Amino acid sequence: MGSLFSSSISLRKSVRISDDEFLLLRDFIYEKSGIFVDVKRKYLFESRFSKHLGELGLSSFSDYIKYLKFDVKKAEELPRLFELVTTNETSFCRDLRQLDVFKVNVLDEILNEQRKAGKLELNIWSAGCSSGEEPYTLAILLHESLKRELPLWKIKITAVDLSRTMIEQAQKGVYGEYAFKTTSDDIRKKYFTKESEGWKVKPEVQKLVHFQQMNLNDSQSLKKVARSHIVFCRNVVIYFDEAMKKKVVGSFYDNLLPGGYLMLGHSETLHKISQAFKPLYHPGSIAYKKQG
Amino acid sequence: MGIKCFEELTAGMILASDLKASDGRLLFKAGTEIEARHIELLKRVGVAEVDVEAGACELSDGMLLEIEDYVRDFFLYVNPDSEPVVEMFRISLALTGDAVARGWCLPDIIQRRASNVEHMEDLFLKGMGSPETIVMHEAELASFPDIYFRIKEVLEDDSASATRIAKVVSTDMSLAAKLIKLVNSPLYGFPQTIDSISRAVALIGAKELSTLALGISAINYFKDIPPELVDMKKFWRHSITCGLLAKILATTQTGLSPERFFIAGLLHDVGRLIMFKKLPYASTEAMLFARENSIPLVEAERSTMDFCHTDISRPLLEAWKFPEGLSNMINFHHNPMEFPNPLEPAIIHLADNLTNAMEIAQGGMYVLPGVDEQAWEILGIQADPVLRDAVEQCQEQIDTILGAFF
Ligand SMILES: C[S@@+](CC[C@H](N)C(=O)[O-])C[C@H]1O[C@@H](n2cnc3c(N)ncnc32)[C@H](O)[C@@H]1O
Ligand SMILES: [Fe+2]
Ligand SMILES: [Fe+2]
Repeated sequence: MGSLFSSSISLRKSVRISDDEFLLLRDFIYEKSGIFVDVKRKYLFESRFSKHLGELGLSSFSDYIKYLKFDVKKAEELPRLFELVTTNETSFCRDLRQLDVFKVNVLDEILNEQRKAGKLELNIWSAGCSSGEEPYTLAILLHESLKRELPLWKIKITAVDLSRTMIEQAQKGVYGEYAFKTTSDDIRKKYFTKESEGWKVKPEVQKLVHFQQMNLNDSQSLKKVARSHIVFCRNVVIYFDEAMKKKVVGSFYDNLLPGGYLMLGHSETLHKISQAFKPLYHPGSIAYKKQG
Repeated sequence: MGIKCFEELTAGMILASDLKASDGRLLFKAGTEIEARHIELLKRVGVAEVDVEAGACELSDGMLLEIEDYVRDFFLYVNPDSEPVVEMFRISLALTGDAVARGWCLPDIIQRRASNVEHMEDLFLKGMGSPETIVMHEAELASFPDIYFRIKEVLEDDSASATRIAKVVSTDMSLAAKLIKLVNSPLYGFPQTIDSISRAVALIGAKELSTLALGISAINYFKDIPPELVDMKKFWRHSITCGLLAKILATTQTGLSPERFFIAGLLHDVGRLIMFKKLPYASTEAMLFARENSIPLVEAERSTMDFCHTDISRPLLEAWKFPEGLSNMINFHHNPMEFPNPLEPAIIHLADNLTNAMEIAQGGMYVLPGVDEQAWEILGIQADPVLRDAVEQCQEQIDTILGAFF
């Protein structure tokens, strides 16, 4: 087999991370964000961080850990660290079956109850909203459900994420093709306008959503979120360990109004995490209803 | 072969094989250097594809760097100092460079991001189905092909005569045809043509042929998986390549009968097929999770479903009463050291990694899972040149063997 590449080309390009350094870095990340990184991802860390270490002029992970803990610029570094350890995969109308279940079995019930009580108010919290596709999807769903009744309602979707960059992107509300991979053209045409950079979400959708940078590990700031009828937290707790999952789900419980609902991602459950919710099984998705 | 579509054809390229018109008429002989006037002519004749030779000089330094970056991405998860891994990296570079020189375009970011399938309803929600219940559900619903059990019967009966075996196998025409093709393929490398099952039994032995028949009849069971969910052709290509490499790598060890490794490789990811059938949406979520986090599929399965495809193959192969030795190779191909006698699963483990490395040059999607250090030591192989030789042998043989299946 001939090769266009040198036969002695090496695979290692990055600074080595020792087992001790890995554990220190991982514990630091966990302490700050609740994100738990398995030791199997040690080499991933090496390659993900190596360029950044170079930019900072650091030659070892030990130096980086010192930088994170003691440098005068440590506060600026934290958001960058978060960018390196999070993934922001998302799209509009992600998990159509779940959204269907949500509309038929959760949303309609809550809307009806509110109507009966004469309180045309609805609060939804989208926790870990990434670049905004999820909360905007919910806003679109509300438009589709309420139609001309919508202006009578006081609706607030609070969308938060750890990443400042993601929040800024979400506030801009301009999206490329990939974001629409599971969205019908009808919905796209109805709620977005084509711009040179991509598709921009229309003002009537945008104004229902309020974005804010927030760390789910920070219980104090979670307490400030307006009490919700529904919490969406999809594909986020999968990155947490059990203790952090319990802590975050506890905060959701406290935030939810009586009878409120929690919706998790397709690969997430409250099994072993919390008994304070009643799981309602529907084909394709589970809705968790707050008990007590 | 480097197939270029007509639009990519430029003067100076050399034909790698005779170029024929759609009616079979010879247009140009292999070795012809394409000139502008040839291109004109081909355009008039309406030739869609042309097989041209690779020219190393075609690639710019910038392109080489791009290829290097592309290939590196598949090695993010693995130990960059591991001997077999480094060698696999070099092999991937060589293969990818070659593919690009022959006209293959590196997939762009969009192609590499997962497209996901919506509207797939899982039969089990997260936390509701253990691997055992999922397999039980499968085993209750669909009955396994009758022929499989009849083959198993003769396989287990030491006194079964060669004629009886030949008779059982021959009752399934398409199975028999596949077997004939396979025994005539480089997998066995007999000099003469074998034209009947009884001749095949005589040459390769009753046990061997029945095992092969067993593996192939098991594959048949999965022919109705929806194509929008997984590219089944790619799936089987992965499996067959792994089987072939496993067989080749097994020859580096003394006292193993290499042919069994082909079957184990062929079925090594069979658990994944049950996942596609029973948990289609969860499977696509796992694929998405793997790509987004640069982790191997098997890790992503564990994160998203709490179990992986070998947890599924274990009860499945048990329910099928699949031969134990083969089952162990399959069930432990991601963690060979957890099996008391790790040598055999270690070979499938290595072959699977090498298959993944080869697939990078074919638009593979997932990072390498990595070679277990202890397993590698047990094998006692010199990465250079053994892995490269294995890949070369595999490349020579793979098309014929794939031809027996598709
Ligand atoms: C995979 S995305 C999920 C996006 C969206 N919910 C969906 O399902 O499509 C995960 C998001 O969780 C955010 N995240 C991770 N840890 C967090 C934390 N401690 N606090 C807030 N957000 C966090 C990440 O920044 C990332 O944008
Ligand atoms: Fe596997
Ligand atoms: Fe595999």
